[in-house]
Amino acid sequence: MEYNILDSIDLNDSTIYKSFTDRYFSKRYILNIDGIKNNDIMLMFHSNRITLLCLAPSHFFFKRPDNYSLNFTVGEVDRLSNLVKGKGKKGGQMLTPKSVICKVQWSDGTSFNIPCCMKGTLIEINENLVKHPELLRQEPDSDGFIAIMLSSIAISEATKKELLNHEEYLKRVNSSL
Amino acid sequence: MEHKAIYKLCKGLGCCEACCLRYIGIKNPNAYENSINFVTKYNDENEPNSIEIKNNNESTTDNEKNTTMSSTKSETNKSNENNDNSIESTENVDETTIEVNNEVESNGRTSPPSKKRKVNICVSCLGVLQEDNWQEGFQMVKELLDKKGYECTTFACALSAPIATLLREKIITLNIVDEFPQYDAKVLTPLKEAWKWSFGVKLSAYINKTLDSGAVSPLLVTVNMDYTDDLQELEILKLVSPQLFEERRKQRRRFVTEFTRRSVEQALEKATLSSLKAAGAQLVAVRARGVCGYIKLSRNLPQSPWILDGKRVLPSSVQEIIFAPLAKCYKWEEADAERRLKLIAAGREDVDVRCLGDGRPFAVEITDPTRQLTDEELKEACKEISNSGQVIVKRIVPITREDLIQLKNGEETKSKTYEALCIKLSHSKYDTDHTSPVRVTPEDIDRINSYTNTDTDVRIAITQKTPIRVLHRRPLLTRNREILELTAELVPERPQLFVVRARTAAGTYVKEWVHGELRRSAPALRDVLAARADLLALDVAAVHLAWPPS
Repeated sequence: MEYNILDSIDLNDSTIYKSFTDRYFSKRYILNIDGIKNNDIMLMFHSNRITLLCLAPSHFFFKRPDNYSLNFTVGEVDRLSNLVKGKGKKGGQMLTPKSVICKVQWSDGTSFNIPCCMKGTLIEINENLVKHPELLRQEPDSDGFIAIMLSSIAISEATKKELLNHEEYLKRVNSSL
Repeated sequence: MEHKAIYKLCKGLGCCEACCLRYIGIKNPNAYENSINFVTKYNDENEPNSIEIKNNNESTTDNEKNTTMSSTKSETNKSNENNDNSIESTENVDETTIEVNNEVESNGRTSPPSKKRKVNICVSCLGVLQEDNWQEGFQMVKELLDKKGYECTTFACALSAPIATLLREKIITLNIVDEFPQYDAKVLTPLKEAWKWSFGVKLSAYINKTLDSGAVSPLLVTVNMDYTDDLQELEILKLVSPQLFEERRKQRRRFVTEFTRRSVEQALEKATLSSLKAAGAQLVAVRARGVCGYIKLSRNLPQSPWILDGKRVLPSSVQEIIFAPLAKCYKWEEADAERRLKLIAAGREDVDVRCLGDGRPFAVEITDPTRQLTDEELKEACKEISNSGQVIVKRIVPITREDLIQLKNGEETKSKTYEALCIKLSHSKYDTDHTSPVRVTPEDIDRINSYTNTDTDVRIAITQKTPIRVLHRRPLLTRNREILELTAELVPERPQLFVVRARTAAGTYVKEWVHGELRRSAPALRDVLAARADLLALDVAAVHLAWPPS
């Protein structure tokens, strides 16, 4: 073949092997939310300011092997009925940093909330979590993401600046061990 | 006033005989009934066709040979109006309007010898006064009248002409004044009068009714001539008279449409030749279009200049590489070239995707070309483009407006074949040995080659949510797309890699289909493989659209 696809890239360049989320997103962290130890959230910002809500790897959730279920009804609001319309994403549920997106209920009846940590609009809940809640445990930083959010350029830039980046996060987590 | 000189000037600009008479100011109805004979007295000696073209407005007949003239669509609206208040009137008093559409196709290209010779469309009246375009109008009117069975023996006729004729009249008048400062623009015989005297008279014989004035005859036939480029052509008036249209825009409730005869007349009132020229006014609907497919060899080359916050992200683009030699042929500066050249492509690929095979179909629209480029120049341009090493264009040929429609339609209907270099990142659920390094097995390849989830020719029916990378500017939707063909093969000496070739329906997001995009595209290639997979490189191998049209 004239223009072989194998010759078109440098297969020894490690950057081409980055995962989907590492390629397009920059990670930010919020630790010990509401004073609860290891209540840690990770936000992944796409360069176009779309933001994914995920559990940080240091979240206490991952230490507990029990069965769990996910509940997307928060008070009166059903997060799963969120609908956005048009380019402007009109009609999406409004979020403040404290807004709870999802409740994780352990088999023993105890539970904890997952807050969104950012002001913005809810675009999409990861519907795959409804059928496959195990994704939250197995692939928390990719297919097990919790929600997609969108906020203004100003807010997403400010939030990004304010929160811990990946290096700072690793330092903090390692020092607290 | 020298009638011969005005005739010569108008003819040179591309006016039909009847329009020449209008600019001279002839008011004798008989002159328009057979304008072609009438003008012979203005022609020099016995060489009526050897008029040296005197042209201030750049466009010349030279260009017309290979360019599109806009098709003129004529519509006949006929209304039966019973205006007189006579008591014995038995006709219904309200107005009946019936519309008939037909397309009068007119183009100025040299026709194949087998076809009937077509005349060039007049740059002023856009063919309204040209006898060759009348037959269908006559027929439409007759058919309608027969159907309606009006018993009235007389009729009046009215013309609704394209508004662009006003702009064109202004340009021509200004051109005449430029040449003959003492010329009085008021002598111009109105288009609708000349039309009544010519079209109306012939129509009268055709429908066997006596032509009368609208004040007298109760039957009014309105012929509405449409010009497809009408509104587009008038756009330049917003530059000529910005305040006027800004006002109208603000009072949108009052002014439903931007361009009406009145607003155009207002805008043209104070227009000068130079202001119109500066706004890019062009007399002849001449647009040269060159076409072929471009092959893109770089993974660092966007289709159009990529500028973020006023700064260039990447140094070049497909568009700039293709434009450079064309601009050179016309001796245009960069800014000029950017304004006058337009790249029209059947879709676009991502910056990091190559486009191989016969390339991506595209056309370049050249606005107001000063001349036609020769075959040699076009060949040379292709060579120069290909010398960039990043883009290859094999040939450029002239095309027509109709071809362009095919190009744009193709964007929504054409399928494309992609070649993707993929990597298997985890053991598949079919792999028996999960301790050895991950490798693509012949079974994996078989699985991909035989997988289908439909009973039809479509190999894989998939649903894709709007990819996150474009979600900020597009609505969130779940779209049904199709993988029409799919084959995979191993890559020698690279056990984790494999190459797939997939033909996909228009609008399929291939990158997302491969890795599944957080399961937002399903079933993805990774689902077929039942292992984590990702894409390392992507090429468009073929765009399935017959282009350039033969």
